[in-house]
Amino acid sequence: MATTSAVDRLRSRIGHTVAPISATVEAGHLKRFTEAIGDPNPRWNTEAPPTYLVALVPASMHLAEAEEYGKGWLNGGPVRVGDRITATARVAEVYEKTGSSGSLLFIIFETDYVNQHGRTVARLRGTAIRR
Amino acid sequence: MTMQVGQEIPALVKHPTTRQLVQYAGAQGDFYEIHYDQDFARSVALPGVILHGLLKAAFLGQLVTDWLGERGTLKSFEVSYRGIDVPGRPYRCRGKIVKVDGPKIELEVWGEDPDGNRTTAGSATVLLNE
Repeated sequence: MATTSAVDRLRSRIGHTVAPISATVEAGHLKRFTEAIGDPNPRWNTEAPPTYLVALVPASMHLAEAEEYGKGWLNGGPVRVGDRITATARVAEVYEKTGSSGSLLFIIFETDYVNQHGRTVARLRGTAIRR
Repeated sequence: MTMQVGQEIPALVKHPTTRQLVQYAGAQGDFYEIHYDQDFARSVALPGVILHGLLKAAFLGQLVTDWLGERGTLKSFEVSYRGIDVPGRPYRCRGKIVKVDGPKIELEVWGEDPDGNRTTAGSATVLLNE
């Protein structure tokens, strides 16, 4: 069960962003990624498949003792080889849910990915749970 | 193209291997040992190394993009991890249409192990080309 102080500490970080990280989509890395996921679609020679951005820029802030529960992507445009992507992550929400097995703490991270033209190409929402 | 609520899209069966987990660890930069070190995985009460949640998300992404092709754009995509999967067991990705609103199609997607357990569940929204 999450202690009140842990909840308060996490809540105090809502809206807090870590320093943005930038990376360029390289053909070689994209190829290694699509080989790793085993997706042979030739479209991915030049364009990034749906989950690629998490591999390009480590997305969520790591949180000790919390386990990954899920991820969601909201897409704003294609990501292509040569694009320069800047990712900015923040804690978006922290809430507690009480179920049959006790209290669970949900931590929602959001990461915005913006390309070199200032276009938001994706917003990632990651959910972690602390038991 | 007919899009009807309840219609299943073609399933995608993946055959993950330990080699693939190492490839994915490298490509993703996720070096948590539960994905490639059998002794470590067992020491934290797992049956052995397990698939990355994001690898299963990528499989479900492929399910949708294989079906959609160039007919439209994937607007949103969401997955949650409900159970573990181990290499050497086929992973079946499935999806069905749950809502049709003009060019906007909503899908339920999920991945299941050979026993039929839905170890990953999610949804996707696509916008068909006009």
